[in-house]
Amino acid sequence: MNASVAEPLAHYRAAFEAVRTGYADTAAQRTAAFERFATLGFPGARDEAWKYTSLRRLESRRFPVRDAAGVPCVLPAPLAGHRIAIVDGRRRADLSSGSLPAGLRLRTLAEAQADGESLAALLRVTQGGGTERFAALNAALCPDVVLLDVADGASVDPVEIIVTSTATEPGMSHPRLIIRAAPGSTSRIVLRHSGDDAERLVNSVVDVEVGPDATAHLYRLLDNGARAFHIERIEATVAQRGTFIVHDAQLGAGLARLDLTVRLAAPQAAAELTGLFLADGSRHLDTHVLVDHLAVGTRSLQDYRGIAAGRGRAVFNGKAVVHAGAQQSQARQTNRNLLLTPGAEIDTKPELEIYADDVQCSHGATTGQLDAAAMFYLRSRGLSEIEARSALTRAFTGAVMSRMDHAAFATAVRDILDSRFARLLETQP
Amino acid sequence: MNDIMLSIRDLHAQIGARKILKGINLEVRAGEVHAIMGPNGSGKSTLSSVLAGREGYEVTAGSVEYLGQDLLEMAPEDRARAGVFLAFQYPVEIPGVNNAYLLKAALNAVRKQRGLPEFDAFEFLAMVRDKMKLMQMDESFLNRGVNEGFSGGEKKRNEILQMAVLEPKLALLDETDSGLDIDALRVVANGVNSLRGPDRAIVMVTHYQRLLDYIEPDFVHVLYDGRILKSGDKSLALELEKRGYDWVRQEALVA
Repeated sequence: MNASVAEPLAHYRAAFEAVRTGYADTAAQRTAAFERFATLGFPGARDEAWKYTSLRRLESRRFPVRDAAGVPCVLPAPLAGHRIAIVDGRRRADLSSGSLPAGLRLRTLAEAQADGESLAALLRVTQGGGTERFAALNAALCPDVVLLDVADGASVDPVEIIVTSTATEPGMSHPRLIIRAAPGSTSRIVLRHSGDDAERLVNSVVDVEVGPDATAHLYRLLDNGARAFHIERIEATVAQRGTFIVHDAQLGAGLARLDLTVRLAAPQAAAELTGLFLADGSRHLDTHVLVDHLAVGTRSLQDYRGIAAGRGRAVFNGKAVVHAGAQQSQARQTNRNLLLTPGAEIDTKPELEIYADDVQCSHGATTGQLDAAAMFYLRSRGLSEIEARSALTRAFTGAVMSRMDHAAFATAVRDILDSRFARLLETQP
Repeated sequence: MNDIMLSIRDLHAQIGARKILKGINLEVRAGEVHAIMGPNGSGKSTLSSVLAGREGYEVTAGSVEYLGQDLLEMAPEDRARAGVFLAFQYPVEIPGVNNAYLLKAALNAVRKQRGLPEFDAFEFLAMVRDKMKLMQMDESFLNRGVNEGFSGGEKKRNEILQMAVLEPKLALLDETDSGLDIDALRVVANGVNSLRGPDRAIVMVTHYQRLLDYIEPDFVHVLYDGRILKSGDKSLALELEKRGYDWVRQEALVA
């Protein structure tokens, strides 16, 4: 192993050694996880899962682990009536709302262990995909686990989970969240990543289990600072007739990578994954969506809209795999992209693998610019070029925005888009 | 006689290397209605596109003066704000941009230019409702995407609705009658006629005489191969209907 590869690992190993003694009964599990990370290392230049996203800048950083319990922290106004705040990977009661909605139970790692929950599940490292290495690093370094259980048959009021880091200092954090939706339940969870302009690594893992006949909505807003590295792995398993609905707004971070993987594990399980990303400035936003159809009559929809401008770059990789035996399944996949300026770039790759014969599948991806005929039409009515561009850019996101059925979340997303559009449309004719 | 509103002199325009307008001369005064007729490919739509400022046309010679300004130097939105309105032959569908949003933004852009206060949502709605009645359009159209999923007739009505709301000084109607059944044609013509007035000029480009039964022009011009070969009053349109365009060409050749 040459020095340039060994060196970042040595940094992470030192960080791990420094906290390992405090892990007590989870140390063995965490050590195994760390070794998994050490074995996989950072992705190499030929790693297909990182073809368009280089982590060389991240590799060169030596972020200390942040764990600043009790440090004051200013958070934006919540997007739901209940809030759970996670700062540097730890739940902060002082920043969370006093109560949780009926039907929702929250436990920490220690509490869950005391209740007899399996440590293997709480610190699970699933295999495969480009972010497995980071999920392993998360299992090694996460200071705690936030375990949320939605009760059997409960219909739970919306909850915002805000994930942020101690302000102003560079550092890294490894938040870990587990959401388990019991049979027949309905839940709406807003997962909001927020951060300032300090350079940092946020390495987040979200495990979701959607039980039989349950519906789980996840509203994800990535609004980290322009110098943040944000890596996130969201993995969901959906049981019989369960539905997992994701509304994703991948808006901020200097470099972001999301791996969103859904396993439709039992008959009639369904996933609706819609989202948008906006890579302006010099942001690099990478979204990898994978749906595994593993059972009869499963359905999935992927509809992602992407915009890039300036020196921004976005990557979208959407994949649906219909496994043998998953007959009468439906997989629909759309990715539409808009390049607002010539220097911007979006690399999109829709993939469909089908190993069953009685299925309905479609996929398509387009990348284009604002429609010249529509631009002229609007300008011929007196709208300025900026107004016309702005109206058409907003319209482009409309189909995905209109699906966002949580008003406060949709408003927050729209506000961020509006302020970013206003800036980039005015500076870039 | 009113002052000249639009003065086109020796206008030449081309798309790429293809010359389309080959020396157009036309003067339009406030209060006048002009019809420009001609066979397909004569340059009718190019003329209205050049006047509205569509990209892709190169003006190689000539000038267009509008109310004392060099029209060709103006951006499309500045032409619109100065009172030029083009009713499109093929109105563009813009899903996701609300019809009401466009109407209000367009109206306030024009009002701002005229030194009038912007309309608030209430004043705007009251005004648009009236105009929609005139165009026999349901109010639900306001909340749909611009022309999204509209039938051909609905699109043309929407064009005239916009024109009625914006109250332009110079209205250019590009083949507004194409694709309309007789009932829709009546509604559209009725909308246009309601806008006739001493301060407004209307230039209609059309292939067929039919529209002129409903909107009577003061002048009729025959456009052929990029030039106006003949001008006259509305009787010229009837003659064209009867005899076609060829005799005009013959006559021009002899002259």
